[in-house]
Amino acid sequence: MDKRVNDQFLEELNARGVSRREFLGFCAAVAASFALPGKAEAEIAKAVATKPKPTLVWLEFQDCCGNTESFLRAGQPSAAEIILDLLSIDYHETVMAAAGHRAEEALKKAVEENKGKFIAVVEGSIPTGAGGAYCTIGGRSALSIANEVCSQAGATIAIGTCASFGGLPAASPNPTGALSVAEAVPGLKNLINLSACPANAENLAALLVYWLTFDRWPDLDRYRRPLFAYGKSIHDNCERRAHFDSGQYVEQWGDPGHRRGYCLFKMGCKGPVTFQNCPNIRWNSGTNWPIGCGHPCLGCAEPNFWDSMAPYYNHLALDKTGAQPNIDKVGFWATLGLGGAFAAHAVAKIAGSKSRVIAESAASTSGKGEEA
Amino acid sequence: MKQPIMVQDSGKDKVLVYVWEAPVRLTHWLIALSVLVLAGTGIYMGNPFLIAPGEASDNFYMGTAKLIHFYGAIVFSLAVVTRLLWMLLGNAYARWNQFVPTSTRRVRGAADMLSYYLFLRRNPPPTVGHNALAGVAYVGVFLLYLMMIITGLAIYSVSAHVDYPMGAFGFLVPLVGGLQSARWLHHFGMWLILLFVVNHVFSTIEVSALERNGVIGSIFSGWKTVEKEQLDLGE
Ligand code: HEM
Repeated sequence: MDKRVNDQFLEELNARGVSRREFLGFCAAVAASFALPGKAEAEIAKAVATKPKPTLVWLEFQDCCGNTESFLRAGQPSAAEIILDLLSIDYHETVMAAAGHRAEEALKKAVEENKGKFIAVVEGSIPTGAGGAYCTIGGRSALSIANEVCSQAGATIAIGTCASFGGLPAASPNPTGALSVAEAVPGLKNLINLSACPANAENLAALLVYWLTFDRWPDLDRYRRPLFAYGKSIHDNCERRAHFDSGQYVEQWGDPGHRRGYCLFKMGCKGPVTFQNCPNIRWNSGTNWPIGCGHPCLGCAEPNFWDSMAPYYNHLALDKTGAQPNIDKVGFWATLGLGGAFAAHAVAKIAGSKSRVIAESAASTSGKGEEA
Repeated sequence: MKQPIMVQDSGKDKVLVYVWEAPVRLTHWLIALSVLVLAGTGIYMGNPFLIAPGEASDNFYMGTAKLIHFYGAIVFSLAVVTRLLWMLLGNAYARWNQFVPTSTRRVRGAADMLSYYLFLRRNPPPTVGHNALAGVAYVGVFLLYLMMIITGLAIYSVSAHVDYPMGAFGFLVPLVGGLQSARWLHHFGMWLILLFVVNHVFSTIEVSALERNGVIGSIFSGWKTVEKEQLDLGE
């Protein structure tokens, strides 16, 4: 490793049980996940160890704290989580010791002292109904806090699906008028969405390391999500994919196919329409992930997933509650019914015309007869 | 550019009219064939009812269905686009205004056909090309075809390989309300198309039996027999 790398930093890591080797491994993993060339690993290590840590302000609005949980509750903290720890998190309602006016002062101070440089992380959607009254902190609406803080940030990370796309609070009928960060604070520069319910802490760490090293965000997809984490569908990286292509599906919970680890497509898996790197990095320090333990993907990283992916345990249904009959059954009987109706119509018309022809020719013969 | 209409005498009071030109007939049968293939594979892809035995590597049921579906999709999309272009290039019976009723005569024709279907009128109104009601219905059918192509390309784009040109159709995804709604529309659209197919086949048989004008033969040969007094060159 580069000699200039700060020894103090390595000591700090050591004190938390992360060896230099593990730290370099983490930097290599980050470089690899961004598909950066060989030297990047050292570059990243240097940046992480020596650059001043950016100030981070973490705002929570209409959320369940799930993203905070996701990154705080690691059983065995990895290098990634420690990097997050080492960031200078100046304001985070859930974890900070300060409360009340002291907390508000901390936020004010962090924003003023680091204007244009700090990173704002927003968790939860922003309600706009009733003048923003559905979510207030210290008497101020989430909308006004978000506008004030994010517009002064150097960059904003919308973490989780609620902040990225409105998520669960914005699901139909959206009683609080909840919006995503992009909708609530339009025109934000350097806004990035890290969707999923919750977002994966490993992706957050990799993203922050990238920012630290290159002072910009990596390439984004059409929903402003980083491509390194959201570039491929769950389906295309799924460990059960061979069963999909082969034609081996779970048909009932606990059936032989389920026990053999078959594909969960027929149980409503939304992996083919959901984008995230869950199959690769997994969850809880790489222990497992939903499909890995036999549960279909719910599509939590996608916009409007709460409405558009329902019903969760059906591939497709005629209506979103899943209470209605199967779309293929309805289609089949409708097609058969229409066929029957047309056949009856044709028989009636053709028989009608035949009898008319007979009647007409009979009439004309009898007419002729009279003439004769 | 517009193709003239060929007419030949055929007996005392009948003429043969060249109604369906080769591109119309060709695209008709390519669409018919590919719709059957696409629906057959599509039903399996939406509800894979056959479960493969043995190891995953022993079989390729879904993979094969998808492969056939995608070749079918190429044929279908190209045929639909060709037919749409022929609406600008072909003869009077192939033109776009056979579908969108722009004259009062076509509007009246559609109303007459409707009353025939509702048993209010004894015989279908005489038409040489598409009857006016069918013409209007075909606007819906072509829109449905385009919807299938658009949603199909949207779903396809996201699993295209990195830097593969089909990925460019990703811009369609937000336009169709996201991928899951694209899937829903694609699946639902299939049943609407199958309903149309049933309607189309039965009403063709019915009209052909009643009018005895060789309407079924015409989609093979292009020629239709028409009473001289009912000859209508489409304008
Ligand atoms: C008449 C035309 C077509 C019919 C009836 C049809 C039918 C279907 C059906 C029923 C499905 C399964 C949907 C589901 O339940 O998930 C499907 C999937 C699909 N179709 Fe089509 N389709 C047609 C045309 C096309 C076209 C033109 C394309 C263009 C590329 C296309 C591409 C696809 C793709 C990519 C899938 C998803 C495959 C997957 O799940 O991996 N289809 N189609």
